[in-house]
Amino acid sequence: MRYARVHFGRFLHGLHFMSMTAESLAFHQQLQARGVIFSFVGYLSEGILYSLGEALKQKMSLEATDANVIKRVFSVFVEQAQNIIRYSADRVAGELDRPVELSSGLVVVGREEGRFSVVCANIVAHTEVGRLRERLEQLAAMDADELKSHYREKLREPSEADSRGGSIGLIEIARRSSAPIEFGFIELDAERTYFCLKAYI
Amino acid sequence: MERLHRAATERSPHLDFDFPNRCLRIEGESYPEDAAAFYGPVLKALETFLCSPDPLPPESPLVLDLRLSYFNSSSAKALMNIFQMLELAASRGLSTRINWHYHPEDDAMLEFGEDFREDFRFADFHLCEVETDLAG
Repeated sequence: MRYARVHFGRFLHGLHFMSMTAESLAFHQQLQARGVIFSFVGYLSEGILYSLGEALKQKMSLEATDANVIKRVFSVFVEQAQNIIRYSADRVAGELDRPVELSSGLVVVGREEGRFSVVCANIVAHTEVGRLRERLEQLAAMDADELKSHYREKLREPSEADSRGGSIGLIEIARRSSAPIEFGFIELDAERTYFCLKAYI
Repeated sequence: MERLHRAATERSPHLDFDFPNRCLRIEGESYPEDAAAFYGPVLKALETFLCSPDPLPPESPLVLDLRLSYFNSSSAKALMNIFQMLELAASRGLSTRINWHYHPEDDAMLEFGEDFREDFRFADFHLCEVETDLAG
């Protein structure tokens, strides 16, 4: 009797691991079917950005991707990830042995029908949405020449007091993209909005 | 004025501002965690140098060599600030030359060079094609 109970316990335990593994496999396959090269969800730091960026460059180089395309994808990835680090409203910052900044967000780099895509998402304060939406709509409507001269203009302007370089970063993303940037907002509660930005290269 | 030197790190370039010899260099990749923290002291030192009474004869030119393979948008802003300071100094009579090195197959770096060049009237801005890989 006692033996049977232990045995049954192991059996249940095994079932649990099997369903956990099956779930993981389904998730994994779903991402792969969507052409995901890598996906990251959680607290992002500059160190993680560097490592993911290196892996991304190596992966694309091994696949003999055109050097200029690698650079464009990398540039969009860096600007998107740095935007999360700087602007995500879901963040922890403090001093360990040096200043540490961890910002929550999502980064997915994939390949769809011969194009690369970089998706980034993070939470922004509700009060930021209006300005951000306006800026993105403006960029999405610009053609390559307009984006280039807009970038030139912004580069020569004195920095905005509260900016950490984000506004020019968005222009760089739009400029390196081969199609207009796509974006959306979903309100989570009275203060927080989920913001998602996708660029194709 | 003392030489300002920063060894390259994973995300910041090798920077060597040899003020006594009027030889400035920035090489590699630039996407530091905090561009203001990295370039702030550099801009300050350059400003001090350009404003200080000069021990070298005025005909000795100031040369800035840039060999960058990638920089992010906040670094671009810092580069623009450096260029604006050099152009101002050139307009006041300092002989200034900027060499923008780029790999012939690197479209983005050539375009950035052409873009920056348009702002110079007094300083000489040269686009220099180099076959060697500029990877930092």
